[in-house]
Amino acid sequence: MALTFPFAAIVGQDEMTLAIQVVAVDPSIGGVLVLGDRGTGKSTAVRALADLLPPIQVVKGCPYRCDPAKPAGACPVCQARDPKTKVVAERQTVAVVDLPLGATEDRVVGALDLEKALSQGIKQFSPGLLAQAHRGFLYIDEVNLLDDHLVDLLIDVAASGENLVEREGLSVRHPARFVLVGSGNPEEGELRPQLLDRFGLSVQVRTPQDLKLRVDIIKRRDAFEKDPVAFKALWHKDNQKLQKRILKARERLAEVTVSDDMLMLCARLCQQLGTDGLRAELTLLRATRAFAALQGHLAVQAEHLQSMAPLALRHRLRRNPLDDTDSGARVQRSLQEVLAA
Amino acid sequence: MKRCTALQHMAQDNTSTRQSLDAWHDALISLQILQLDPHGLGGVCLRAPHGPVRERWLSALASLGLPLVKVPGSADAERLLGGIDLAHTLQTGQLRMQAGLLQQADQGLVCLPMAERLPPALLAPLMQALDSGQVAATHHASAPTATRFGVVALDESLPDESGVNAALQERLGLWLDLQALSPSDIDARLNDNEDDALHIRLSPGALARAREKLQQVQASDAQLHALCASALGLGIGSLRAPSLALRVASAHAALNGRHVLDDEDLGFAARCVLAPRATQWPAEPSAEQAAEPPPPDNDETAEPRPKPETPDQTPTDPPPGDAPEDAPPDPAPQEPTAEDLQEMMVAAALASLPPHMLDALATQKGARSGNTSGRSGQTRAGQQRGRPLPPRPGRPGGHARLHVLATLRAAAPRQRLRQAAPLVSPGDTEARLMRRIAIRAEDFHIQRYQQRSSSCLILALDASGSAALQRLAEAKGAVELLLQQSYARRDSVCIVAFRGAQAQLLLPATRSLVRAKRAMTGLPGGGGTPLALALKMAHEQAALLQRQGVTPILVVLSDGRANVTLQGVGGRTQAQADAQNWGQQWRSSGHRALWIDTSMQPDAQAQQLAATMGASYLPMPQVQAQRMAHAMDSLRTGAA
Repeated sequence: MALTFPFAAIVGQDEMTLAIQVVAVDPSIGGVLVLGDRGTGKSTAVRALADLLPPIQVVKGCPYRCDPAKPAGACPVCQARDPKTKVVAERQTVAVVDLPLGATEDRVVGALDLEKALSQGIKQFSPGLLAQAHRGFLYIDEVNLLDDHLVDLLIDVAASGENLVEREGLSVRHPARFVLVGSGNPEEGELRPQLLDRFGLSVQVRTPQDLKLRVDIIKRRDAFEKDPVAFKALWHKDNQKLQKRILKARERLAEVTVSDDMLMLCARLCQQLGTDGLRAELTLLRATRAFAALQGHLAVQAEHLQSMAPLALRHRLRRNPLDDTDSGARVQRSLQEVLAA
Repeated sequence: MKRCTALQHMAQDNTSTRQSLDAWHDALISLQILQLDPHGLGGVCLRAPHGPVRERWLSALASLGLPLVKVPGSADAERLLGGIDLAHTLQTGQLRMQAGLLQQADQGLVCLPMAERLPPALLAPLMQALDSGQVAATHHASAPTATRFGVVALDESLPDESGVNAALQERLGLWLDLQALSPSDIDARLNDNEDDALHIRLSPGALARAREKLQQVQASDAQLHALCASALGLGIGSLRAPSLALRVASAHAALNGRHVLDDEDLGFAARCVLAPRATQWPAEPSAEQAAEPPPPDNDETAEPRPKPETPDQTPTDPPPGDAPEDAPPDPAPQEPTAEDLQEMMVAAALASLPPHMLDALATQKGARSGNTSGRSGQTRAGQQRGRPLPPRPGRPGGHARLHVLATLRAAAPRQRLRQAAPLVSPGDTEARLMRRIAIRAEDFHIQRYQQRSSSCLILALDASGSAALQRLAEAKGAVELLLQQSYARRDSVCIVAFRGAQAQLLLPATRSLVRAKRAMTGLPGGGGTPLALALKMAHEQAALLQRQGVTPILVVLSDGRANVTLQGVGGRTQAQADAQNWGQQWRSSGHRALWIDTSMQPDAQAQQLAATMGASYLPMPQVQAQRMAHAMDSLRTGAA
């Protein structure tokens, strides 16, 4: 396993790291879209994600990494198992799966297992990237350049949480619940609105212009590259702390209450911004709740809303394609008005 | 350095020769650095046409003794990442796996000839492996396999073509440009000191020593600061650049047996890593640096500068760094400040840039966005174009190609059955054949592609005095309408503006309409009407787009009153003739066009020119959203 840059050692890009942590607390928020120039640490942050998350319990030998505690949503392999036998569980790290730009459909959804077919003549399904990403993260770099046919596929799976394969005489249905993480440079092409909608939060990153910060980043990067093991060990404690914080927040999440006033605020904000559908409100609600939990609060307050609203709503505004004012600023402005009212 | 002084002697007065020789010298040093640290710095992007110069560099590369794997553009993902060896599997009927090219390149280099033509399907997994140092698990290999390699991307693109994929290029540390170098230049140099080529390959002992040194190389805070500041000053936003520059400088230091970074190391990194990435002229000194001497101005750098390695404003003594035992016992060591170092690096970077680049940088205001960006999603022209559709049963032949994998998949489940059924004449040969995979005609699947119907709108916008003063705003409004339409259709846009003595490519083909709008808003008006130049540029852009498999559509917004010739000088008659000429050219290209006449009264001149071009003609007073949408639609359906 190649070593990744420790998450705790990432400096700058606070909005991005915050969004990632919030999604780690509550995966049902539905993923993060990171937009910005190259070389701003997008990939570094996403690939470091596995650091943040504690290992999960999976059914041993299950190719889809089913949860032993939840037999209901099990995959075909687990369903076929005799219910009387005891399920053996094992711990595995959370998957962060890379979906490369040029991936074939076979690779993404899965296909007939050629090896078995050729050597034994058995028709068996070989799971693809979507199966690997189940209960983990699916990372797509340059998501705005992804081929349309793959986008269609992703939109469907991301919404339904299961992957349905009907091809080559195979008929397989398996769970594929993952957090979609995308990154890209919007100047090179725009995202389909449908796919945009599937991302819960969106973040805009810019290259830090502060010289001190840049020097600091380069220093850490250099130290990591010279001796990854030592660097990782150096940051191990901080990483553990971060992991604990997220675990605590997860436990707290169910207890966090949202008052009716807050709900009203959310609704008014979305109404004023004219976002389509109710997904905006739902996401905003979940994000503020997760953020409050992360901050150690048990009730959602206006300040939480203030931090999360730009992230959750920025990409949902019905927008004139030629308007280049920052959507985040628009959200903030509306929020001020709503709060003042 | 001995080599440097020899070089200095040789290049006495001729700046361009000296500059190209410096480039060659740097290219050779780059080879040594590659040898020392093949994967740490990402690799090399070499821009040079096919020819003796590149051949010489490549043969030196081959003699380095590193694993060198060539990836042709026709390689498929299976071959790249490893997978089933289909040929062998089919031949023997037994499953045979093969290692991918990327695994073979472990601890070595991957060479990409014609890197600018590589499809994204090949580049994306390559970059993923480059980033993560491993090839991800696939269908066939459940565990990821570690592989660390550097990339040597050979860029042969012409100046008007899009170069190497920007995402890949960004990850490669050293960018070398040997386009200006002629073979005789190197020959002269080689005769001068013949031993050069022999010195490139380091002996195993020297290599081991240098690698050990590399681990210990230290950069002082001032140096790091200078590195980041120079990158920022040259308009390089990405943080990969200074990171890679540091790595390159460290390798350069290790190569020269130092474990403290030196001006020479920083200068080399500035020349080969930072300078080629520069997007802007170093800014004026900011508030906190106001006391410092301003960055070199134009006339100073246009002159041949002193060798970058020994700029006069920095102390000639090696700067005392963090390692006191190595520092010379200087009674009063003059500690170079970060600003000094930065100035030295920027000067080194600028000195290595060819003069025309400097001019371009000096005149540029904002960040440059080359036409290299953004097209990586575009399918390139090939034997078959378009996005692949699922293969379907059918006989190969004619235009249909066999889809091997799908055919095998179709045949695979029936193997048992077919092996069991005896053929008509059982014999020895048959028995041998039986062990192979039995593929029947009904298994054949063929490949299908869907042609991309994407098109690109080329907007030629007249911003001259005659058309512009009152009408430019209206024309811009019309363009916005067009842009909104193309947004709905997910077309790309490319804007050519013309006024005065030149036509300007305001915006290379992009899908980002925000950029298109921004580019247009800042467009000033006034001056002559160089229509011929505009049509020529539109023609060139159309050819470029065609090569990428995109259908170009031209929309001209002008009154057609050309009064500037192809040479950029005034003269109504000649200008009209030139415009007619290029209009004819457009017609012969067979692409569609729409002429929106922006003059107050519809004019015969524009109408005639539109007819010459084979363009539809629409007078501006009638330009309303509805009508224009209609005109564009009919144009598109014609083009599709």
